[in-house]
Amino acid sequence: MTLLQLMFDTLLGFSLLWLAWQALTSPDLFRAIVLFIAFGLLMALTWIRLDAPDVAMAEASIGAGLTGALLLSALARLGSKNGSRAILEKKHQAGSMTENTKNQLPFRLLLMVLLLAVAAGLVYVVLTLPENIPGLGILVEENLESSGVSNPVTAVLLNYRGYDTLLELSVLLLTLLGVWSLGDMTKQHESFPGPVLSTLSRLLVPLLIMAAGYLLWVGAHAPGGAFQAGSLLGAAGVLLLLAGWRPGTRLAGLPLRISLVLGVAAFVAAGMVFILLGRQFLEYPPSFAGVLILLIEAAATLSIGITLAALFLGGRPKFSQPKFSRPKLNQPKSSQPKFRRHK
Amino acid sequence: MEILYLSIALFLLLTLVAGLWRVLQGPTSADRMLAAQLFGTTAVACVLLLAQAFEYPPLRDVALIFALLAAVAAVAFIRRAWAAEEQNDVSD
Repeated sequence: MTLLQLMFDTLLGFSLLWLAWQALTSPDLFRAIVLFIAFGLLMALTWIRLDAPDVAMAEASIGAGLTGALLLSALARLGSKNGSRAILEKKHQAGSMTENTKNQLPFRLLLMVLLLAVAAGLVYVVLTLPENIPGLGILVEENLESSGVSNPVTAVLLNYRGYDTLLELSVLLLTLLGVWSLGDMTKQHESFPGPVLSTLSRLLVPLLIMAAGYLLWVGAHAPGGAFQAGSLLGAAGVLLLLAGWRPGTRLAGLPLRISLVLGVAAFVAAGMVFILLGRQFLEYPPSFAGVLILLIEAAATLSIGITLAALFLGGRPKFSQPKFSRPKLNQPKSSQPKFRRHK
Repeated sequence: MEILYLSIALFLLLTLVAGLWRVLQGPTSADRMLAAQLFGTTAVACVLLLAQAFEYPPLRDVALIFALLAAVAAVAFIRRAWAAEEQNDVSD
């Protein structure tokens, strides 16, 4: 490692730690979000330095891009009248609780001791790791030919450890079900998008969809794959939602739900079919593996993208189009609360 | 050439760290958001330089993702956070 690389890595590492600390301790929530976006960018650079371009792609798209938009949207909702009142009430409660916190000192000390014990244990484990263990890398290399793809990461994710990816997809689906169970989409009083945003969304959405297709395809032999492609698709959805588009009555019902479960369904179906032919669950015959992986990934990409966009919507979509209101100049704006709670 | 690319990448990282000052200082949320947008641009350049320095073309795809997604957070800011702030200012 050259001196330059060492300097780059040191600077990267220290700024990451500093950013993480600042983002956690910042009293201003907006500043914390911006620091978190910057943290995502530097984290992606760190993954690149750690030779993990696949993870860097996921971090770049989800950590720096989508999560930033999601947090900003959540903050705006907190800033609405209902939200700020709730925060104020919380602050009142917190004010009266400062006396209680003094009594919690023994508890805090116990917590610190336990945390230090966990930290010491982790340090011990890392220090006692045997050096130069080959890991499973060799095994993956040896069996790469029968996996159907030439990118070892995709081989592990979609073939050798298919269970993990299947369960990850299910977690994403369960998250959305959790959000939907909290209630309907809040009706937002959106302003007209304006020419710049309309043009941007018309230019960027096709590009995002094309790039998603590219990453899905390239994942078979280079860094890329379903999650990265899905998050780009999700970003396209988020951009459309921000520009004021809402799923229409026809789309918000059955078609939306089918596309949400498509990824998990295709994965399970592909796993089950070969049980009938006397193989294990998720064990693909080598001659079909490449095609099967591409099909599963295509279904997963669609589901991931639509799930992420649906998460951004923040509730079960209703079967109606929003009504745009042109910016009103004469009427007082405060007459209409921006974010109304659902009934 | 590797040394040149790496030193430029290091310089870009330094400018990024210097830009964090603006995020901390503000004063308005737009200043902070614009600084984050600038970080996105810097990160694209940085990743492209690393791709050249290590002669590893797939890193260009990471830069592509950075470039495509930089606008999404900015649009969310304008449409949600900034709009809410303006409305609060008017109603106060």
